[in-house]
Amino acid sequence: MTDVLAPARTTRPSPPKRRRSRAQRDRIFAWSMLTPTIAAVGLLMAYPIYIAINLSFRGGEIADLQNLGQYPLTLGNYADVITDPQLLGDIWRSIVYTVGVVVPAFAIGLGLALLLNKTFPGKRIVRPLALLPWAVPGVAVSAAFSWMLDGSFGVINYLLRSVGLIEQNVAWLASSDTAMTAVIIPTVWKFYPFFTLVLVAALQAIPGDLYEAARLDGASAWQQFRYVTWPALRAPAALAIVITGVGVFREFDFIFPLTGGGPDDATTTLAVRIYNEAFEYFTFGASAAIGVVTMVIAGALLLMAGRSVREGMN
Amino acid sequence: MSKVLSRRRTPQQWGLLAISLAVLVVLLFPVYWMIMTSVVPSKELLTSSPPLVPPADSASLDAYGEVLESRPIGLWLWNSTLVTFGTALISIVISTLGGYSLSRFRTKAQQAMGFTLLFSRMLPGTLLIIPVFVIFASAGMINNLWAVILVNVAATVPFTTWLMKGFVDAIPAEIEEAAMIDGCARLRTLWQVIVPLLRPGLATTFTYACILAWGDFLFARTLMPNPSDWTITVGIASFIGEFSVDWSGLMAAGIMSMVPMLILFVFLEPFLVKGMASGSVKG
Repeated sequence: MTDVLAPARTTRPSPPKRRRSRAQRDRIFAWSMLTPTIAAVGLLMAYPIYIAINLSFRGGEIADLQNLGQYPLTLGNYADVITDPQLLGDIWRSIVYTVGVVVPAFAIGLGLALLLNKTFPGKRIVRPLALLPWAVPGVAVSAAFSWMLDGSFGVINYLLRSVGLIEQNVAWLASSDTAMTAVIIPTVWKFYPFFTLVLVAALQAIPGDLYEAARLDGASAWQQFRYVTWPALRAPAALAIVITGVGVFREFDFIFPLTGGGPDDATTTLAVRIYNEAFEYFTFGASAAIGVVTMVIAGALLLMAGRSVREGMN
Repeated sequence: MSKVLSRRRTPQQWGLLAISLAVLVVLLFPVYWMIMTSVVPSKELLTSSPPLVPPADSASLDAYGEVLESRPIGLWLWNSTLVTFGTALISIVISTLGGYSLSRFRTKAQQAMGFTLLFSRMLPGTLLIIPVFVIFASAGMINNLWAVILVNVAATVPFTTWLMKGFVDAIPAEIEEAAMIDGCARLRTLWQVIVPLLRPGLATTFTYACILAWGDFLFARTLMPNPSDWTITVGIASFIGEFSVDWSGLMAAGIMSMVPMLILFVFLEPFLVKGMASGSVKG
């Protein structure tokens, strides 16, 4: 996984030269084994993207999604979407949501990975439990948190009141000041185990004698982390951050069931806006245009991050 | 770190256990609260200071019985099971073939695949559901579980193929070359020699695909308008928007939706870490 972003390097020496017919047969074999993968990717990515782009250039009242050819081609959707000041707000909220999820999730994931890399009794039971949120369906997570964050009877208000952090109940999901925090918390809970998983795997690959040598040189615990642990974690960490980040940037399963994008658009990210344009207002063309804009933004972020990930790996 | 010394428990190790338990209490509180809510009658929960442990005299499993009676939870779980196993099995086959090809042959696809993986993560699901709906509507496959399975396979395969490539990379090519010199055809070599060595990879792929497919909400919601065809996640989401939510029932349904993945997870989790290690850390 760490070399996803790197140009493919062959780890093995190239096979000895064979007769041409053999090489050709190999090529055919290689591609035919890849066919199902390509077909699956085409089904979900290539063709839907084509339809979405097509849709984003269509004007008029679109009612028949199966025959887009009958609607006139136009740039109007893009003109409307880009000049709409709301778009900047949506982009900003998507970024706030993404950073707000990735930073704490990474911190928790890293802390937990360092802990789980130690030897202690009962670790075999602790580890699957610590990773458990990853296996919980997103909708069940949303349901649990919508109950825990409930403004009147939610246990989070109760606990915060008990320890004196708040005096009055907070309507977490219903107030535009707190709604973003309230959708970030369950998302963090669902995503931290992925970081733990990747980082534990990376930690286990560090040879123990490196620490041995560092200790002999008189390195403190912090220095051991800084000069032995962290360099080994950097590349997988960067990749996990990028993969999670692009995933969260377009996440829908937590925000929509909890707030639907409200109150007052406080949690309307690009993904929620795409959905609402299409299924609340039935403006499919505008919805698709926002979707394409989202793809372009995420792609640009990915390219920027891609460079740093690649640098981190060299 | 201290593997050599680990036969004897040091005070430091018990300290680490204590820290872990404290961390687990915080991290798993939402799960605890779901269980707690599901066994306490709704009316006792609707106060500003709810009990933190189930009161012995009123705790019961009634909410489970009621929710099973009032909604087709069993059917939804069954639909989810079909979708999940269908997705996982098809994904395993596709990504083993694809991963083997990417690992053993140098084609342009190799470079494209890493990019495709990240690109597929980047696509907003909400953008895809309109086209996906259009595709399956023209194929007459709305309210057909195969449609949900196929879409979930497509969503899983870019990542699992890349994962399997990592696992195949870890198997020396000499092993299959020897088998082929003995006259085995490529596909038979793959099946008889490589696949048995790929077991940790298969377990990792299986777990990943199961978790993704079981948790899918958007695709199932879009492609299955008919309530008797819903998966458990769509069923649960239908509770949340209701005017007055039956929290005990909702949490009971939530618990029931978690248990199958929990069981799977506890069995396959050791493979998962090992899988990530051998599949990811190479450089």
